[in-house]
Amino acid sequence: MNNFAISPPLAWVWGAIFAFLTVSSLTFYLVSRKRPGKLLDELQLRTRSWWYMALGIAVVTLGPPVLGTVLVAYVSYVALREMFSISGFREADRSALFVAYFTIPVQYYFAFWHDIEPFYYFIPLVMSITIPFVLVLSGNTEKIGRSMSLIITVLLLTVYMLSHIVLLFNLEIPGYTIGAGGLIIYLVALTGFNDVFQFFWGKLLGKEKILPLVSPNKTWAGFLGGILSTAGLGYGLRFLTPLSGGAALITGLSLGIMGFVGDAVLSAVKRDLRLKDTDDLIPGHGGAMDRLDSIVITAPVFYHLLTFFIKP
Amino acid sequence: MKQLFQQLFYALIVRPWLRLFIGVRFENREAFDRVEQFIVVANHNSHFDTVSIMAALPGYKLRKTHAVAAADYFGQGTVSGTAMNLFFNSILIKRNREAGEPSAIDVLDEHLKKGDSLILFPEGSRGQPGVISDFKKGIAILLQRNPQIPFIPVYLDGFGRVLPKDKWLIIPLVCKVRFGDPMRAETQDIDSLLEVVKEAILRLKHKDERDRNSF
Repeated sequence: MNNFAISPPLAWVWGAIFAFLTVSSLTFYLVSRKRPGKLLDELQLRTRSWWYMALGIAVVTLGPPVLGTVLVAYVSYVALREMFSISGFREADRSALFVAYFTIPVQYYFAFWHDIEPFYYFIPLVMSITIPFVLVLSGNTEKIGRSMSLIITVLLLTVYMLSHIVLLFNLEIPGYTIGAGGLIIYLVALTGFNDVFQFFWGKLLGKEKILPLVSPNKTWAGFLGGILSTAGLGYGLRFLTPLSGGAALITGLSLGIMGFVGDAVLSAVKRDLRLKDTDDLIPGHGGAMDRLDSIVITAPVFYHLLTFFIKP
Repeated sequence: MKQLFQQLFYALIVRPWLRLFIGVRFENREAFDRVEQFIVVANHNSHFDTVSIMAALPGYKLRKTHAVAAADYFGQGTVSGTAMNLFFNSILIKRNREAGEPSAIDVLDEHLKKGDSLILFPEGSRGQPGVISDFKKGIAILLQRNPQIPFIPVYLDGFGRVLPKDKWLIIPLVCKVRFGDPMRAETQDIDSLLEVVKEAILRLKHKDERDRNSF
């Protein structure tokens, strides 16, 4: 079988996504010509950014794995650079930051070749030993503990966790023909729509705040409505995966909860740094990490749930 | 030949590298479309400053734009001097001039009279990141002698982290080149001219409260 042939379910999903984006862009364009306004400018800006993001995800899910790997690795790079830029590092940390960037090609090399053991120990072990020692060599011990832990944490979030997506390219699943593209679009769709569901249910029914001191916009209704809707979506989209109905429900529910966790963690970090967004890289959306906060957590969780459920 | 080399070099190598890998973002590059001749005035923290401004220029304007640099620092040896000329069309000025030589101001003024554009760092040398030190008077004298030439204020945000003074390791971090609209100073007084230029750069600095300079 041709490796790069697009399977029918995947073709349908991508057809729907691009049809939806086309309709949105056209609608906003036509309405803005009749009644221009600030809200519409914002919506148009956001939709245009979604086009670029959708094209990127399309390349990852439909293109050859090597191209997808390079693209995901580059997303890691942008996210890592963004976190390094806002986290308030010391001048003495510069050489450690320089070393940290080189984890990306190494980690994604292991991910691409499915070299699973070094994939798991490279950052948690090798870098956890290397980075603190490079910091020690700088000779400045003031607040060195903060840098030691923060550089590793940021590496785990933006490189280690995100690189699990690439493992999906090499997963051998008997009887499953859609391929990695189906798994990745399932992960991305559930993670993305979970954000939307949580926002929607929160606006609709939200009263009781769930994390009042960290993120005043998050409510219990948003959280519960969100994870249940995501579980439903996971069930509905299971034709993209090898999962059974029950397994898809559990996966959807878990990704919903984990998406919330990622969102909450980055919200707390942003609050501490007194930032609304991590950057202004993506017009209408904020920084790269504002978009990736959930998927960095859901990607490894999805990979492990999947390998657990499909174990013969 | 040199023009072609510079256009290709900046468009195909420097600009993509700055954008994709270092994390440089350009704001209001359109400022250059509206003016024929200009003086770019920027704050100065890093060796990245000149190359980032050159990378923002429309290709056809590169050839007639000169970066102004100190001869005693960059002119040592033929390699450095040649490279500065090849990449930045540098005008090397002497900070300590001997008797009988034309002053730096006269050299720059001559280039402006020929229709060329300049990139100037009125702080003189690369100071503390995020701190704009006192301006040297040269920029004001040039603007006074050439009132028809607009200046384009630039605030370089974050380059002092990417490559600070006296360091050689380049660390990719998000940074911005923020161009202001071309301006003509309405005054002829040297001190008020300096004030106008500095104000224009500070306004750009305060456009974004995010601090990309401190570690």
